[in-house]
Amino acid sequence: MPSLKKKIIVNSIVGLVFLAILIWAGLALSRPTQTKTSDNQTTIETDEWSRIKKSKQITIGLDDTFVPMGFRDKNGKLVGFDVDMANAVFKSMGIKVKWQPIDWSMKETELNTGNIDAIWNGYTITAARKKQVAFSTPYHKATQVLVTLKKNNINSFADMKDKVLGDQTASSGDEGFNKYPKVLKQYVKDNTVVGYDTFDKAFNDLNAGRIDGLLIDEDYARYYVAHQSNPNDYTVTVGDFPTDHTGVGFRKSDKSLRKAVDKELAIFEKDGRLQKLSTKWFGK
Amino acid sequence: MSYLATILPSLLSGLKMTLGIFFLTIIGSVPLGIIVSLGLKSPYFTIRWLINGYIWIMRGTPLLLQLIFIYYGLGMIGVTFPRFEAAIIAFIINYAAYLAEIFRGGLQAIPVGQYDAAKVLGFNKFQTFFKIILPQVIKIVVPSFGNEVINLVKDTSLVYVIGLGDMLRAGNIAASRDVTLMPYLLVGLIYLLMTAIVTLLLRRSEKVLNTWR
Repeated sequence: MPSLKKKIIVNSIVGLVFLAILIWAGLALSRPTQTKTSDNQTTIETDEWSRIKKSKQITIGLDDTFVPMGFRDKNGKLVGFDVDMANAVFKSMGIKVKWQPIDWSMKETELNTGNIDAIWNGYTITAARKKQVAFSTPYHKATQVLVTLKKNNINSFADMKDKVLGDQTASSGDEGFNKYPKVLKQYVKDNTVVGYDTFDKAFNDLNAGRIDGLLIDEDYARYYVAHQSNPNDYTVTVGDFPTDHTGVGFRKSDKSLRKAVDKELAIFEKDGRLQKLSTKWFGK
Repeated sequence: MSYLATILPSLLSGLKMTLGIFFLTIIGSVPLGIIVSLGLKSPYFTIRWLINGYIWIMRGTPLLLQLIFIYYGLGMIGVTFPRFEAAIIAFIINYAAYLAEIFRGGLQAIPVGQYDAAKVLGFNKFQTFFKIILPQVIKIVVPSFGNEVINLVKDTSLVYVIGLGDMLRAGNIAASRDVTLMPYLLVGLIYLLMTAIVTLLLRRSEKVLNTWR
Protein backbone atom coordinates (compact mmCIF):
# COMPACT_ATOMS: atom_id res chain seq x y z
CA MET A 1 0.00 0.00 0.00
CA PRO A 2 1.38 3.46 -0.91
CA SER A 3 1.79 6.00 1.85
CA LEU A 4 -0.96 8.52 2.60
CA LYS A 5 1.15 11.33 1.18
CA LYS A 6 1.67 9.51 -2.10
CA LYS A 7 -2.05 8.70 -2.27
CA ILE A 8 -3.03 12.35 -1.88
CA ILE A 9 -0.55 13.46 -4.55
CA VAL A 10 -1.58 10.85 -7.14
CA ASN A 11 -5.30 11.36 -6.48
CA SER A 12 -5.05 15.10 -6.95
CA ILE A 13 -2.94 14.80 -10.12
CA VAL A 14 -5.37 12.34 -11.73
CA GLY A 15 -8.35 14.41 -10.61
CA LEU A 16 -6.91 17.65 -11.98
CA VAL A 17 -5.96 16.09 -15.31
CA PHE A 18 -9.47 14.67 -15.68
CA LEU A 19 -11.01 18.02 -14.80
CA ALA A 20 -8.79 19.76 -17.34
CA ILE A 21 -9.86 17.31 -20.07
CA LEU A 22 -13.53 17.88 -19.19
CA ILE A 23 -13.17 21.66 -19.38
CA TRP A 24 -11.24 21.43 -22.66
CA ALA A 25 -13.90 19.16 -24.17
CA GLY A 26 -16.63 21.51 -22.95
CA LEU A 27 -14.93 24.49 -24.59
CA ALA A 28 -14.41 22.56 -27.83
CA LEU A 29 -18.09 21.65 -27.92
CA SER A 30 -19.39 25.13 -27.18
CA ARG A 31 -17.26 26.78 -29.87
CA PRO A 32 -19.14 27.30 -33.15
CA THR A 33 -18.27 24.74 -35.82
CA GLN A 34 -17.52 27.31 -38.55
CA THR A 35 -14.09 27.92 -37.08
CA LYS A 36 -13.06 24.46 -38.21
CA THR A 37 -14.24 24.33 -41.79
CA SER A 38 -10.78 23.32 -42.93
CA ASP A 39 -11.42 19.95 -41.35
CA ASN A 40 -13.30 17.87 -43.87
CA GLN A 41 -15.62 16.10 -41.46
CA THR A 42 -16.91 18.97 -39.34
CA THR A 43 -20.13 20.53 -40.57
CA ILE A 44 -19.27 22.00 -43.93
CA GLU A 45 -20.55 25.46 -44.74
CA THR A 46 -18.43 26.41 -47.72
CA ASP A 47 -18.85 25.70 -51.41
CA GLU A 48 -16.97 22.51 -52.23
CA TRP A 49 -17.31 22.76 -56.01
CA SER A 50 -13.73 23.91 -56.60
CA ARG A 51 -12.34 20.97 -54.62
CA ILE A 52 -14.51 18.49 -56.54
CA LYS A 53 -13.56 20.00 -59.89
CA LYS A 54 -9.88 20.01 -59.03
CA SER A 55 -9.71 16.44 -57.74
CA LYS A 56 -12.04 15.28 -60.55
CA GLN A 57 -13.81 13.07 -58.03
CA ILE A 58 -17.10 13.26 -56.16
CA THR A 59 -18.28 10.99 -53.37
CA ILE A 60 -21.92 9.97 -53.62
CA GLY A 61 -23.70 8.11 -50.84
CA LEU A 62 -26.09 5.31 -51.57
CA ASP A 63 -27.90 2.49 -49.84
CA ASP A 64 -26.54 -0.40 -51.86
CA THR A 65 -29.56 -2.56 -51.09
CA PHE A 66 -31.94 -0.16 -52.85
CA VAL A 67 -33.26 -2.03 -55.88
CA PRO A 68 -33.55 -0.88 -58.70
CA MET A 69 -32.00 2.55 -57.95
CA GLY A 70 -28.60 1.42 -56.75
CA PHE A 71 -27.59 -2.09 -55.73
CA ARG A 72 -24.91 -4.69 -56.36
CA ASP A 73 -25.10 -7.31 -59.04
CA LYS A 74 -23.86 -10.85 -58.46
CA ASN A 75 -20.27 -9.81 -59.09
CA GLY A 76 -20.53 -7.10 -56.46
CA LYS A 77 -20.59 -4.31 -59.06
CA LEU A 78 -22.83 -1.32 -58.37
CA VAL A 79 -25.65 -1.06 -60.89
CA GLY A 80 -29.08 0.58 -61.11
CA PHE A 81 -30.95 3.53 -62.52
CA ASP A 82 -29.37 6.15 -60.28
CA VAL A 83 -25.91 4.62 -60.57
CA ASP A 84 -26.14 4.82 -64.37
CA MET A 85 -27.53 8.36 -64.22
CA ALA A 86 -24.96 9.75 -61.81
CA ASN A 87 -22.03 8.10 -63.58
CA ALA A 88 -23.19 9.49 -66.92
CA VAL A 89 -23.93 13.00 -65.62
CA PHE A 90 -20.57 13.39 -63.91
CA LYS A 91 -18.72 11.73 -66.77
CA SER A 92 -19.85 14.50 -69.09
CA MET A 93 -18.33 16.94 -66.59
CA GLY A 94 -15.10 14.94 -66.48
CA ILE A 95 -15.63 13.90 -62.87
CA LYS A 96 -15.34 10.37 -61.54
CA VAL A 97 -17.93 9.14 -59.04
CA LYS A 98 -16.76 7.37 -55.92
CA TRP A 99 -19.72 5.46 -54.48
CA GLN A 100 -19.87 5.22 -50.72
CA PRO A 101 -22.36 2.77 -49.20
CA ILE A 102 -24.13 4.34 -46.23
CA ASP A 103 -26.86 3.44 -43.78
CA TRP A 104 -30.01 5.10 -45.14
CA SER A 105 -31.15 6.49 -41.78
CA MET A 106 -27.79 8.33 -41.52
CA LYS A 107 -27.83 9.89 -45.00
CA GLU A 108 -28.28 13.57 -44.04
CA THR A 109 -25.67 13.26 -41.29
CA GLU A 110 -23.23 11.73 -43.78
CA LEU A 111 -23.89 14.61 -46.17
CA ASN A 112 -23.64 17.45 -43.70
CA THR A 113 -20.50 16.14 -42.01
CA GLY A 114 -18.87 15.96 -45.44
CA ASN A 115 -18.36 12.20 -45.61
CA ILE A 116 -20.27 12.28 -48.88
CA ASP A 117 -20.88 15.15 -51.33
CA ALA A 118 -24.31 14.10 -52.60
CA ILE A 119 -27.17 11.69 -52.02
CA TRP A 120 -28.24 10.20 -55.34
CA ASN A 121 -30.31 7.13 -54.67
CA GLY A 122 -34.04 7.42 -55.30
CA TYR A 123 -34.03 10.37 -52.92
CA THR A 124 -37.56 11.75 -52.77
CA ILE A 125 -38.00 15.49 -52.35
CA THR A 126 -39.97 16.24 -49.19
CA ALA A 127 -40.52 19.36 -47.14
CA ALA A 128 -38.83 17.88 -44.09
CA ARG A 129 -35.72 16.92 -46.07
CA LYS A 130 -35.62 20.36 -47.75
CA LYS A 131 -34.86 21.87 -44.35
CA GLN A 132 -31.57 19.98 -44.25
CA VAL A 133 -30.67 19.39 -47.87
CA ALA A 134 -30.75 21.32 -51.15
CA PHE A 135 -32.31 19.34 -53.99
CA SER A 136 -31.54 19.35 -57.70
CA THR A 137 -34.38 19.71 -60.17
CA PRO A 138 -36.49 16.53 -60.07
CA TYR A 139 -35.45 13.97 -62.69
CA HIS A 140 -37.84 11.15 -61.91
CA LYS A 141 -41.30 10.82 -60.44
CA ALA A 142 -43.16 8.01 -58.79
CA THR A 143 -45.95 7.63 -56.30
CA GLN A 144 -46.43 5.54 -53.20
CA VAL A 145 -48.49 2.45 -53.84
CA LEU A 146 -50.08 -0.24 -51.73
CA VAL A 147 -49.01 -3.80 -52.43
CA THR A 148 -51.31 -6.57 -51.21
CA LEU A 149 -51.87 -10.24 -51.84
CA LYS A 150 -54.53 -10.82 -54.46
CA LYS A 151 -56.25 -13.48 -52.38
CA ASN A 152 -57.00 -10.91 -49.64
CA ASN A 153 -59.03 -8.90 -52.10
CA ILE A 154 -57.84 -5.44 -51.11
CA ASN A 155 -58.42 -3.14 -54.06
CA SER A 156 -58.48 0.34 -52.56
CA PHE A 157 -56.92 2.14 -49.63
CA ALA A 158 -60.28 2.00 -47.84
CA ASP A 159 -60.14 -1.79 -47.98
CA MET A 160 -57.21 -1.60 -45.55
CA LYS A 161 -59.67 -0.88 -42.73
CA ASP A 162 -58.35 -2.54 -39.52
CA LYS A 163 -55.68 -4.29 -41.53
CA VAL A 164 -51.96 -4.24 -40.65
CA LEU A 165 -49.73 -2.04 -42.81
CA GLY A 166 -45.94 -2.15 -43.23
CA ASP A 167 -43.37 0.22 -44.72
CA GLN A 168 -39.68 1.13 -44.57
CA THR A 169 -38.68 3.27 -41.61
CA ALA A 170 -37.72 6.83 -42.61
CA SER A 171 -38.82 6.26 -46.22
CA SER A 172 -40.77 8.95 -48.01
CA GLY A 173 -43.80 6.65 -47.90
CA ASP A 174 -43.48 6.61 -44.13
CA GLU A 175 -43.41 10.41 -44.09
CA GLY A 176 -46.42 10.66 -46.42
CA PHE A 177 -48.35 8.18 -44.31
CA ASN A 178 -48.16 10.49 -41.31
CA LYS A 179 -48.47 13.72 -43.26
CA TYR A 180 -51.68 12.74 -45.06
CA PRO A 181 -53.63 10.81 -42.42
CA LYS A 182 -56.81 11.00 -44.51
CA VAL A 183 -55.33 8.95 -47.34
CA LEU A 184 -54.44 5.75 -45.56
CA LYS A 185 -53.69 6.26 -41.87
CA GLN A 186 -57.34 6.62 -40.87
CA TYR A 187 -58.11 3.12 -42.13
CA VAL A 188 -55.28 0.91 -40.92
CA LYS A 189 -55.25 -1.01 -37.67
CA ASP A 190 -54.44 1.18 -34.61
CA ASN A 191 -53.61 4.01 -37.07
CA THR A 192 -50.03 2.89 -37.07
CA VAL A 193 -47.56 1.20 -39.37
CA VAL A 194 -45.01 -1.57 -38.89
CA GLY A 195 -41.57 -0.23 -39.87
CA TYR A 196 -38.93 -2.42 -41.49
CA ASP A 197 -35.31 -1.52 -42.16
CA THR A 198 -35.42 -2.86 -45.71
CA PHE A 199 -38.29 -3.53 -48.10
CA ASP A 200 -37.37 -7.14 -48.79
CA LYS A 201 -38.06 -8.01 -45.17
CA ALA A 202 -41.42 -6.24 -45.36
CA PHE A 203 -42.23 -8.24 -48.49
CA ASN A 204 -41.42 -11.46 -46.69
CA ASP A 205 -43.83 -10.54 -43.92
CA LEU A 206 -46.46 -9.74 -46.51
CA ASN A 207 -46.02 -13.21 -48.00
CA ALA A 208 -46.12 -14.74 -44.53
CA GLY A 209 -49.38 -12.91 -43.78
CA ARG A 210 -48.11 -10.92 -40.81
CA ILE A 211 -48.92 -7.69 -42.60
CA ASP A 212 -51.81 -7.25 -45.03
CA GLY A 213 -50.48 -4.34 -47.04
CA LEU A 214 -47.20 -2.70 -47.80
CA LEU A 215 -46.77 1.01 -48.51
CA ILE A 216 -43.92 1.29 -50.96
CA ASP A 217 -42.45 3.31 -53.77
CA GLU A 218 -43.96 2.14 -57.07
CA ASP A 219 -40.59 1.55 -58.76
CA TYR A 220 -39.51 -0.93 -56.16
CA ALA A 221 -42.99 -2.47 -55.99
CA ARG A 222 -42.89 -3.22 -59.72
CA TYR A 223 -39.36 -4.61 -59.55
CA TYR A 224 -40.19 -6.86 -56.65
CA VAL A 225 -43.48 -8.13 -58.01
CA ALA A 226 -41.85 -8.85 -61.38
CA HIS A 227 -39.15 -10.91 -59.66
CA GLN A 228 -41.57 -13.05 -57.66
CA SER A 229 -42.12 -16.63 -58.74
CA ASN A 230 -45.74 -15.75 -59.29
CA PRO A 231 -46.24 -12.05 -60.11
CA ASN A 232 -50.00 -12.54 -60.50
CA ASP A 233 -50.40 -13.16 -56.76
CA TYR A 234 -50.11 -9.44 -56.03
CA THR A 235 -52.30 -6.40 -56.34
CA VAL A 236 -50.68 -3.00 -56.71
CA THR A 237 -53.09 -0.25 -55.72
CA VAL A 238 -52.42 3.37 -56.60
CA GLY A 239 -54.17 5.70 -54.16
CA ASP A 240 -54.29 9.38 -53.42
CA PHE A 241 -50.76 9.99 -52.27
CA PRO A 242 -49.26 12.93 -54.13
CA THR A 243 -46.66 12.11 -56.78
CA ASP A 244 -43.16 12.01 -55.36
CA HIS A 245 -40.36 13.74 -57.20
CA THR A 246 -36.90 12.29 -56.98
CA GLY A 247 -33.91 14.61 -56.87
CA VAL A 248 -30.26 14.66 -55.98
CA GLY A 249 -29.50 15.89 -52.48
CA PHE A 250 -26.66 18.36 -51.93
CA ARG A 251 -25.40 20.42 -49.01
CA LYS A 252 -27.12 23.80 -48.98
CA SER A 253 -23.77 25.53 -49.34
CA ASP A 254 -22.86 23.64 -52.54
CA LYS A 255 -24.68 25.99 -54.92
CA SER A 256 -22.26 25.69 -57.86
CA LEU A 257 -22.28 21.90 -57.76
CA ARG A 258 -26.07 21.90 -57.72
CA LYS A 259 -26.26 24.31 -60.65
CA ALA A 260 -23.83 22.20 -62.69
CA VAL A 261 -25.82 19.02 -62.07
CA ASP A 262 -29.12 20.78 -62.84
CA LYS A 263 -27.68 21.91 -66.17
CA GLU A 264 -26.64 18.36 -67.10
CA LEU A 265 -29.97 16.91 -65.99
CA ALA A 266 -31.78 19.30 -68.33
CA ILE A 267 -29.59 18.15 -71.23
CA PHE A 268 -30.21 14.49 -70.38
CA GLU A 269 -33.94 15.08 -70.33
CA LYS A 270 -33.89 16.93 -73.64
CA ASP A 271 -31.81 14.45 -75.64
CA GLY A 272 -33.74 11.39 -74.42
CA ARG A 273 -30.94 9.76 -72.45
CA LEU A 274 -33.01 10.05 -69.26
CA GLN A 275 -35.95 8.30 -70.88
CA LYS A 276 -33.66 5.57 -72.21
CA LEU A 277 -32.37 4.78 -68.73
CA SER A 278 -35.86 4.92 -67.32
CA THR A 279 -37.01 2.34 -69.86
CA LYS A 280 -34.00 0.18 -69.09
CA TRP A 281 -34.64 0.03 -65.34
CA PHE A 282 -38.37 0.61 -64.86
CA GLY A 283 -39.74 -0.64 -68.16
CA LYS A 284 -41.62 2.61 -68.73
CA MET B 1 -27.40 -24.92 -54.71
CA SER B 2 -26.06 -23.25 -57.83
CA TYR B 3 -27.69 -20.02 -56.65
CA LEU B 4 -25.78 -20.17 -53.37
CA ALA B 5 -22.57 -20.60 -55.36
CA THR B 6 -23.28 -17.39 -57.27
CA ILE B 7 -23.72 -15.26 -54.14
CA LEU B 8 -20.88 -16.87 -52.20
CA PRO B 9 -18.12 -14.59 -53.60
CA SER B 10 -19.90 -11.42 -52.45
CA LEU B 11 -20.55 -12.93 -49.02
CA LEU B 12 -16.92 -13.96 -48.70
CA SER B 13 -15.74 -10.45 -49.51
CA GLY B 14 -18.07 -9.28 -46.73
CA LEU B 15 -16.59 -11.96 -44.51
CA LYS B 16 -13.19 -10.29 -44.92
CA MET B 17 -14.56 -7.17 -43.24
CA THR B 18 -16.19 -9.26 -40.50
CA LEU B 19 -12.96 -11.14 -39.79
CA GLY B 20 -10.87 -7.96 -39.92
CA ILE B 21 -12.98 -6.34 -37.22
CA PHE B 22 -13.07 -9.55 -35.21
CA PHE B 23 -9.31 -10.10 -35.05
CA LEU B 24 -8.33 -6.45 -34.57
CA THR B 25 -10.84 -6.16 -31.73
CA ILE B 26 -9.46 -9.24 -29.98
CA ILE B 27 -5.88 -8.04 -30.41
CA GLY B 28 -6.71 -4.58 -29.08
CA SER B 29 -9.23 -5.31 -26.36
CA VAL B 30 -7.42 -8.09 -24.46
CA PRO B 31 -4.39 -6.02 -23.40
CA LEU B 32 -6.57 -2.97 -22.78
CA GLY B 33 -8.96 -5.11 -20.72
CA ILE B 34 -6.09 -6.39 -18.55
CA ILE B 35 -4.84 -2.84 -17.95
CA VAL B 36 -8.33 -1.63 -17.08
CA SER B 37 -8.93 -4.55 -14.71
CA LEU B 38 -5.69 -3.71 -12.90
CA GLY B 39 -6.88 -0.11 -12.68
CA LEU B 40 -10.04 -1.33 -11.01
CA LYS B 41 -7.90 -2.57 -8.12
CA SER B 42 -5.80 0.58 -7.94
CA PRO B 43 -5.21 2.01 -4.46
CA TYR B 44 -6.04 5.48 -5.82
CA PHE B 45 -9.75 6.25 -5.66
CA THR B 46 -9.65 8.75 -8.55
CA ILE B 47 -8.36 6.05 -10.92
CA ARG B 48 -10.97 3.58 -9.68
CA TRP B 49 -13.76 6.10 -10.15
CA LEU B 50 -12.68 7.03 -13.66
CA ILE B 51 -12.42 3.40 -14.71
CA ASN B 52 -15.74 2.51 -13.14
CA GLY B 53 -17.28 5.43 -15.01
CA TYR B 54 -15.77 4.19 -18.28
CA ILE B 55 -17.06 0.65 -17.71
CA TRP B 56 -20.46 1.99 -16.75
CA ILE B 57 -20.73 3.98 -19.99
CA MET B 58 -19.44 1.16 -22.19
CA ARG B 59 -21.68 -1.50 -20.69
CA GLY B 60 -24.60 0.83 -20.09
CA THR B 61 -25.16 1.99 -23.67
CA PRO B 62 -25.77 -0.06 -26.82
CA LEU B 63 -22.72 -0.73 -28.97
CA LEU B 64 -24.70 0.54 -31.95
CA LEU B 65 -25.05 3.92 -30.23
CA GLN B 66 -21.34 4.00 -29.44
CA LEU B 67 -20.54 3.35 -33.10
CA ILE B 68 -22.79 6.22 -34.18
CA PHE B 69 -21.29 8.50 -31.54
CA ILE B 70 -17.67 7.76 -32.42
CA TYR B 71 -18.13 8.06 -36.18
CA TYR B 72 -20.80 10.76 -36.62
CA GLY B 73 -20.81 12.44 -33.19
CA LEU B 74 -17.07 12.97 -32.85
CA GLY B 75 -16.91 13.84 -36.55
CA MET B 76 -19.17 16.81 -35.88
CA ILE B 77 -16.87 18.31 -33.25
CA GLY B 78 -13.79 17.84 -35.40
CA VAL B 79 -12.39 14.50 -34.19
CA THR B 80 -12.38 12.51 -37.39
CA PHE B 81 -11.69 8.86 -38.02
CA PRO B 82 -12.11 6.92 -41.25
CA ARG B 83 -15.00 4.43 -41.15
CA PHE B 84 -12.99 1.28 -40.49
CA GLU B 85 -10.82 2.86 -37.81
CA ALA B 86 -13.89 4.30 -36.07
CA ALA B 87 -15.44 0.83 -35.98
CA ILE B 88 -12.26 -0.73 -34.57
CA ILE B 89 -11.96 1.95 -31.87
CA ALA B 90 -15.61 1.53 -30.84
CA PHE B 91 -15.32 -2.25 -30.67
CA ILE B 92 -12.02 -2.24 -28.76
CA ILE B 93 -13.10 0.18 -26.05
CA ASN B 94 -16.47 -1.57 -25.72
CA TYR B 95 -15.07 -5.08 -25.46
CA ALA B 96 -12.21 -3.99 -23.20
CA ALA B 97 -14.82 -2.89 -20.63
CA TYR B 98 -16.53 -6.29 -20.64
CA LEU B 99 -13.22 -8.16 -20.61
CA ALA B 100 -11.95 -5.99 -17.73
CA GLU B 101 -14.82 -7.19 -15.55
CA ILE B 102 -14.05 -10.78 -16.51
CA PHE B 103 -10.37 -10.35 -15.70
CA ARG B 104 -11.30 -8.67 -12.41
CA GLY B 105 -13.25 -11.79 -11.51
CA GLY B 106 -10.18 -13.86 -12.33
CA LEU B 107 -7.89 -11.65 -10.28
CA GLN B 108 -10.20 -11.82 -7.26
CA ALA B 109 -10.21 -15.60 -7.43
CA ILE B 110 -6.51 -15.66 -6.56
CA PRO B 111 -6.05 -15.98 -2.77
CA VAL B 112 -4.42 -12.88 -1.23
CA GLY B 113 -1.99 -15.18 0.55
CA GLN B 114 -0.23 -15.84 -2.74
CA TYR B 115 0.84 -12.19 -2.96
CA ASP B 116 2.27 -12.40 0.55
CA ALA B 117 3.99 -15.69 -0.23
CA ALA B 118 5.53 -14.23 -3.39
CA LYS B 119 6.79 -11.24 -1.39
CA VAL B 120 8.36 -13.52 1.20
CA LEU B 121 10.05 -15.48 -1.57
CA GLY B 122 11.55 -12.28 -2.90
CA PHE B 123 9.49 -11.75 -6.10
CA ASN B 124 9.00 -8.13 -7.05
CA LYS B 125 5.56 -6.77 -8.07
CA PHE B 126 6.22 -7.21 -11.76
CA GLN B 127 7.39 -10.81 -11.40
CA THR B 128 4.51 -11.66 -9.05
CA PHE B 129 1.95 -10.49 -11.60
CA PHE B 130 3.40 -12.00 -14.78
CA LYS B 131 4.92 -15.20 -13.37
CA ILE B 132 2.41 -16.17 -10.67
CA ILE B 133 -0.91 -14.33 -10.91
CA LEU B 134 -1.50 -13.92 -14.67
CA PRO B 135 -1.04 -17.62 -15.65
CA GLN B 136 -3.67 -18.60 -13.10
CA VAL B 137 -6.02 -15.79 -14.11
CA ILE B 138 -5.86 -16.83 -17.76
CA LYS B 139 -6.90 -20.35 -16.82
CA ILE B 140 -9.82 -19.11 -14.76
CA VAL B 141 -11.19 -16.65 -17.31
CA VAL B 142 -11.10 -18.78 -20.46
CA PRO B 143 -14.77 -19.95 -20.30
CA SER B 144 -16.24 -16.47 -19.73
CA PHE B 145 -13.76 -14.97 -22.19
CA GLY B 146 -15.00 -17.45 -24.80
CA ASN B 147 -18.52 -16.21 -24.27
CA GLU B 148 -17.46 -12.67 -25.17
CA VAL B 149 -15.51 -13.87 -28.20
CA ILE B 150 -18.57 -15.64 -29.57
CA ASN B 151 -20.65 -12.53 -28.92
CA LEU B 152 -18.08 -10.53 -30.83
CA VAL B 153 -18.39 -12.78 -33.90
CA LYS B 154 -22.01 -11.72 -34.19
CA ASP B 155 -21.69 -8.13 -32.94
CA THR B 156 -19.45 -7.31 -35.92
CA SER B 157 -22.64 -7.11 -37.99
CA LEU B 158 -23.44 -3.77 -36.28
CA VAL B 159 -20.93 -1.93 -38.46
CA TYR B 160 -23.59 -1.54 -41.14
CA VAL B 161 -24.66 1.67 -39.38
CA ILE B 162 -21.47 3.47 -40.40
CA GLY B 163 -21.67 2.18 -43.95
CA LEU B 164 -19.17 -0.67 -43.78
CA GLY B 165 -19.97 -3.70 -45.89
CA ASP B 166 -19.73 -6.75 -43.65
CA MET B 167 -21.10 -10.20 -44.42
CA LEU B 168 -24.62 -9.54 -43.17
CA ARG B 169 -24.87 -6.45 -45.36
CA ALA B 170 -23.67 -8.49 -48.35
CA GLY B 171 -26.47 -10.94 -47.52
CA ASN B 172 -28.94 -8.06 -47.28
CA ILE B 173 -27.94 -6.80 -50.71
CA ALA B 174 -28.32 -10.24 -52.29
CA ALA B 175 -31.67 -10.76 -50.56
CA SER B 176 -33.17 -7.51 -51.79
CA ARG B 177 -31.75 -7.92 -55.30
CA ASP B 178 -32.82 -11.51 -55.87
CA VAL B 179 -35.96 -11.32 -53.74
CA THR B 180 -35.26 -14.41 -51.70
CA LEU B 181 -34.35 -15.33 -48.14
CA MET B 182 -31.67 -17.82 -49.17
CA PRO B 183 -28.71 -15.43 -48.67
CA TYR B 184 -29.65 -15.06 -44.98
CA LEU B 185 -29.58 -18.82 -44.62
CA LEU B 186 -26.09 -18.94 -46.04
CA VAL B 187 -24.98 -16.01 -43.85
CA GLY B 188 -26.32 -17.86 -40.81
CA LEU B 189 -24.38 -20.98 -41.76
CA ILE B 190 -21.14 -19.03 -42.12
CA TYR B 191 -21.65 -17.43 -38.68
CA LEU B 192 -22.29 -20.89 -37.24
CA LEU B 193 -19.12 -22.16 -38.84
CA MET B 194 -17.12 -19.29 -37.33
CA THR B 195 -18.52 -19.86 -33.83
CA ALA B 196 -17.84 -23.58 -34.19
CA ILE B 197 -14.18 -22.86 -34.95
CA VAL B 198 -13.94 -20.41 -32.04
CA THR B 199 -15.58 -22.93 -29.69
CA LEU B 200 -13.21 -25.71 -30.72
CA LEU B 201 -10.16 -23.49 -30.27
CA LEU B 202 -11.34 -22.44 -26.81
CA ARG B 203 -12.00 -26.07 -25.77
CA ARG B 204 -8.56 -27.03 -26.95
CA SER B 205 -6.90 -24.17 -25.07
CA GLU B 206 -8.82 -25.02 -21.90
CA LYS B 207 -7.48 -28.56 -22.10
CA VAL B 208 -3.93 -27.39 -22.64
CA LEU B 209 -4.16 -24.95 -19.74
CA ASN B 210 -5.64 -27.60 -17.47
CA THR B 211 -2.60 -29.86 -17.71
CA TRP B 212 -1.06 -28.24 -14.66
CA ARG B 213 -4.18 -27.77 -12.65
